Amino acid sequence: MLKLHEVRAGYGRIEVLHGLDLTVRPGEVVTIIGANGAGKSTLLKTISGLVKPSGGSIEFAGESLASLGVEGIVSRGLVQIPEGRQLFGPLSVEENLELGAYVRRRRGRPLGEKLAWVYSLFPRLQERRRQQAGTLSGGEQQMLAIARALMAEPSLLLLDEPSMGLAPIVVRDIFATLRDLNREGLTMILVEQDARIALSLAHRGIVMERGRFALEGEARTLLEDPEVQAIYFGQRKAGNVRAMEPR
Amino acid sequence: MNFEQFLQYIFSGITNGSIYALTALGFTLVFNATQIINFSQGQMVMLGGMTAIAFHGAGVPLWACFLGAVIVVVVISMGLEHVAVRPLLSKGVLAQIIATVGASFVFETAAMIIWGRQALALPAFSGERPIGVAGATVVPQTLWVVGLTVVIVVALQIFYRRSLFGKAVRACAVNPSAARLQGISYRKVVLFSFALSGAISAAAGVMITPISFMSYSSGALLGLKGFAAATLGGLGNPVGAVAGGFVLGIVEALGVGVVSAGYKDAIAFVILLLVLFIRPVGLLGARVVTRQ
Repeated sequence: MLKLHEVRAGYGRIEVLHGLDLTVRPGEVVTIIGANGAGKSTLLKTISGLVKPSGGSIEFAGESLASLGVEGIVSRGLVQIPEGRQLFGPLSVEENLELGAYVRRRRGRPLGEKLAWVYSLFPRLQERRRQQAGTLSGGEQQMLAIARALMAEPSLLLLDEPSMGLAPIVVRDIFATLRDLNREGLTMILVEQDARIALSLAHRGIVMERGRFALEGEARTLLEDPEVQAIYFGQRKAGNVRAMEPR
Repeated sequence: MNFEQFLQYIFSGITNGSIYALTALGFTLVFNATQIINFSQGQMVMLGGMTAIAFHGAGVPLWACFLGAVIVVVVISMGLEHVAVRPLLSKGVLAQIIATVGASFVFETAAMIIWGRQALALPAFSGERPIGVAGATVVPQTLWVVGLTVVIVVALQIFYRRSLFGKAVRACAVNPSAARLQGISYRKVVLFSFALSGAISAAAGVMITPISFMSYSSGALLGLKGFAAATLGGLGNPVGAVAGGFVLGIVEALGVGVVSAGYKDAIAFVILLLVLFIRPVGLLGARVVTRQ
């Protein structure tokens, strides 16, 4: 469904991604974990077109994304939920959702039908539909960010740290919804710092280190991997980062 | 000052206030989309008036002069975006603002070459016979100015609140990169904002010309008044821009009555300075002043 080949990208002269290869199959949840500054967010931004790759190729559903702008990529069903939600704070909850469907304004399912669908996933949003998005609680804002992305009828969803700054119980709720969405066939790439919750949802995990994939494997295998445990679950001192150097 | 005089000043204040309000709206629309203060905004108003005069001189009926002037200035405003603003996107907002200052000189000089130095007039939309109101008088053009201003402001509100594209424009003002992730074309929104801002400025210029004449150099002062009004209302806030315009117009008119007509323009700048010193976010507080 998504194929990255030797993708390089960065900001100005600083290269952040040093040649990444990644294949995501339909229906899969792939999680990318790693420390701050490993390049996880840059990878998502490069896929969604916000950052232009300086090398390599990205293919989505058999089509190269190189010549498409951000808008063109979204309209093909590859939708990113940016880090920190990035809602339109002064606009109402429902207006945020309508804008999520902006790219499908002339085709796709009717707006009312989609609103009803996301409200059934997140009933709290329906209660607050006339409220300004900026006044919602953190958890509600994350729900709105997900719901807004769903309004674009994505086939591949890119999630950047959906658990950030949220209480564990809220995170569990949100991940339960994500799991339901995946069971209905939605493919996802999930960037997370909370490796445990990310690997509990994902089929596959990738550990990213300084712009390279350091470790890849089945989510279950990674959960039990001593090195991953050492660094991301704090069971050993995080001193031996050496072990995580690119292979 | 007796009541009739007071009322007379208020009428004149509301008339000028409408023009300031529309000019301030022009500033606000461009600022919200781009964070640019378009210093050629006043010249857009001037060009609106001058173009209408030119059409009228060619024997075109008044309503078509109005429409023609709006179209011409929309094209000029979109041209400004293409030639002076978009190419400087990577250079930052300051470079773009300075480009608009340059554009203001170009517009002014071009207008001087085309229309000369003298102030020109346009006939009033529906006669000059004053109407008596409670001892004061109102020329019919004032009713046109105020009426059309109200229509424009209401239409804008409906557009921004109800239409999907209007909401998209608001979203771009809040967070352009998130807007792009929704598939909203930021470029289109910027171009549209310049076009709309040009249209509103041109309308203001055509409406005020029958009352206060127009010359190639009228734009600078109109622009500064509009900027003062926008700042007064809180830059970035369309409702504030309109309110700021009317407050400025009325205070200015009353100032003329109480102090002296010679200080009319100074009043606007005293207000501008006071706002900047005391309450930089404006009376209604800015919705968007800095972007994270």
